[in-house]
Amino acid sequence: MKLLTRQNLDRWVEAMLAEKVRVVGPVARAGQPVYAPVDRASALDFSQVIGRNSIKDVLFPQTEPVMLYTIKKTGVEMKDVGSAEQWPETVILGSRACDAAGIAALRSVFVWQGEDDPLFLERYERTTVVTLACARGDRSCFCTSVGLAPDATEGSDLLLRETVAGNFAVEPVTDKGKRLVARWASHFKEGSESLRPVVPPPVIEKSDVEKILAWLSDPSHYQDAVWVEHAAKCLGCGACTYVCPTCHCFDLTDEGSAFEGERRKNWDACQFDHFAAHASGHNPRSLQSQRWRNRFMCKFHFYPTKFSAKGCVGCGRCIRVCYVGLDIAEMMEKVTALGTSAKL
Amino acid sequence: MNCELKKSGQSALNIPHSRLRNLYLPHLATIKTAVQETVDTWTFELEFQDPAVRDSFSFQPGQFGLISAFGAGECTLTLASSSFRQRSVDITFRKIGRVTGALASLNQGDTVGFRGPYGNRFPMELFKGKNLLFISGGIGLPAVTSVLYDCLEQRGDYGAITILYGARSTRDLVYQRQIAEWERRSDVNMVKTVDPWGVTEGWDGMVGLLPAVLEKINPSPENAYVIMCGPPIMIKFALQSLEKLGFTSEQIYLTLENKMKCGLGKCGRCNIGDLYICKEGPVYSAAQTRRMYPDF
Repeated sequence: MKLLTRQNLDRWVEAMLAEKVRVVGPVARAGQPVYAPVDRASALDFSQVIGRNSIKDVLFPQTEPVMLYTIKKTGVEMKDVGSAEQWPETVILGSRACDAAGIAALRSVFVWQGEDDPLFLERYERTTVVTLACARGDRSCFCTSVGLAPDATEGSDLLLRETVAGNFAVEPVTDKGKRLVARWASHFKEGSESLRPVVPPPVIEKSDVEKILAWLSDPSHYQDAVWVEHAAKCLGCGACTYVCPTCHCFDLTDEGSAFEGERRKNWDACQFDHFAAHASGHNPRSLQSQRWRNRFMCKFHFYPTKFSAKGCVGCGRCIRVCYVGLDIAEMMEKVTALGTSAKL
Repeated sequence: MNCELKKSGQSALNIPHSRLRNLYLPHLATIKTAVQETVDTWTFELEFQDPAVRDSFSFQPGQFGLISAFGAGECTLTLASSSFRQRSVDITFRKIGRVTGALASLNQGDTVGFRGPYGNRFPMELFKGKNLLFISGGIGLPAVTSVLYDCLEQRGDYGAITILYGARSTRDLVYQRQIAEWERRSDVNMVKTVDPWGVTEGWDGMVGLLPAVLEKINPSPENAYVIMCGPPIMIKFALQSLEKLGFTSEQIYLTLENKMKCGLGKCGRCNIGDLYICKEGPVYSAAQTRRMYPDF
């Protein structure tokens, strides 16, 4: 087994920073854990359960230019984007298993049907995901209910597990992860230490993603009263989509003056009332319950059937962030119950 | 910028870099001609500025493009010219939102952006040798004209062609010059109608809501296919009328439109249930739409 001692971890981070590698990891900001780029190893804080934001920010920023344009009398000139600054080589250090699985899910969307999104993929190619297995969860965590675990490796390149002695056992998952270890081999030592026990979050007992998928697959359940009933208190703020590791929706919009500007790719949310509205005024999802249904179905039906990926990774952020207390786990239980009674 | 990436690629993590094509970068196109169809509707003929694109561009009937008015953004428009035409494409739009408003302020010679062609196509091979009924309402006509033009281009390959086109009023009819031409042809049955409250003096077409007129002209479902596009409410009632007339849902092809941003199956808003219209549509048979989630 390869070991990374706590001191070597810091030295490794400093070594990467010295070589201009962007290191993104959990830091404390105003008492809140967030994932952000660090400029020194001591800024990293692995003591928290999970960051407020998802690490999707690293590969799919909230806003970024897709091209630049200048409008002249003689016509329009465009400039492509892409630079070392825009797509820096990055190591995400201390991702959680749920967030890493979210990256795998996002990738499945951004390469769907051969339409390779350059902005996501150029970053993805240059990013190595080092996941730190969770020693504990909080009461919103439910990775074990969606087929993941605190030490799942989906979407990770390298998995670290804490040892009792406070060091990290290193488990390469992909070639990218192996390359990362090989590149800084001097910091990784052979050795064996007993691992700190992992306490997985409790499984939502009355939830079954297979039953949820089966119930959602029947279009006649689309108008079920459960949607209106459950989403009645939703305010449509979209916070759940912004913190979600797998929410991929975006807007393309021109920002600038009458003479020049940028076309930008900005996060958007299916929870907003104008999201799917036509220019004519017709809105296929004019009610908040329909928009909430769209998000739930995206997680548990569209993602698995369309992109062969996990739409929900059980990070629990949408539960933590919702200020009317709308709980996706409750809906998972409700739909599972409906799926069970419908005898699908 | 490429060299810069390569250089940094050699440095730290030694990750091989292959630069991907930027899917979001449009082609530039010049408005070759601009025709005002109605008080709020225009047709632009677009010619690509890059000679390589101009020479190689092709599309299939039913496909669409994302047209940019730089500074305002992009909108989704079905390509409305014959797929046999080379070097340029037509788009027709109604000034209704931000982007179409900006497009409407452009003139001949101005530059727009074009991404595409995107989406699937009408199954032209199925239509060969069949009687074809085109049904469209309002601004829906341009969405089916690429099929029509292709059929007229190879007229001998198809059976009888009937065009049923309805609009709210005589002032909202687009493609009046083309309609006059189709009316002159002996191998096309052109039926035009306007809503009862939209009739003006001198109107020589029919009067009535499109589904009612459809039942009146009573087309035979024998050996026939229907190609349809129009506002959701027209589609709903036209489908009922077609059913009454004996058309099966396998005989009806529709082109659906939803709000789109990327056209590539990523931005997440054009879905009807689990179907992304931009990639898995916009052309569906009515049989397929019946199996969809009721999300129109």
